[in-house]
Amino acid sequence: MSGTAINVLYFAQVAELTQVRQESWPLEGPISGADWLTQLEQRYPQLAPAKRLKLAVNQFHARPDSVIQPGDEVAVFEPVTGG
Amino acid sequence: MVIVQQQDFDSAALVAQIRERTAGTAGALVTFTGYVRDYAPDQPTQTLYLEHYPGMCEREITEICDTALSRWDVAEVLAVHRYGELHLKDQIVFVAVASAHRGQAFLACEYIIDALKTRAPFWKRETLAGGERFWVQQREADAEKTEQWKQP
Repeated sequence: MSGTAINVLYFAQVAELTQVRQESWPLEGPISGADWLTQLEQRYPQLAPAKRLKLAVNQFHARPDSVIQPGDEVAVFEPVTGG
Repeated sequence: MVIVQQQDFDSAALVAQIRERTAGTAGALVTFTGYVRDYAPDQPTQTLYLEHYPGMCEREITEICDTALSRWDVAEVLAVHRYGELHLKDQIVFVAVASAHRGQAFLACEYIIDALKTRAPFWKRETLAGGERFWVQQREADAEKTEQWKQP
């Protein structure tokens, strides 16, 4: 990954709604998870039915105040349903 | 030990291996097996597809098992979780905990499966006999149960 983008992964229903499973997303500097989610919802209005979007940053569950940095791997998904 | 795989597993063989490895240090073994049930109340389930996040699944379940090992007096923990297309009664998940004492093993096993259900990145998609597909939603009760394990 370059230092000016994040690698975004979409899973399950989120991937079906965006019709993308992975993409590079330009990011120049740090941003909070909550602020980035707002950008995501602007880009993909079809995500509106997926009410409870969750993020993982570099494969760790993230919170709204978690910081996303250029170069990070960010995953977007609904609450998990394994087990 | 944590195993995330598509293929089925032999829980009896896994249990035998744990007894072998913990001979002399443990004498109680608690297991949990989760297998495919009928999720929709009105229509029979045809297939269940489990999507997963490779890498994060292993990392998250390993962290859960490590927490169980440090929190309870247990000799060994094992968690196996499958992904891909499954059918009614197919095994999905297996948790085994060996300890010197049953109480610790029961607690650790329940903690692991509770935490796994709300933290390990798997998603179930159900296909009904009529062909309709939908993603299973996380139950509030599961999230609340995991919350209860939080230490004060």
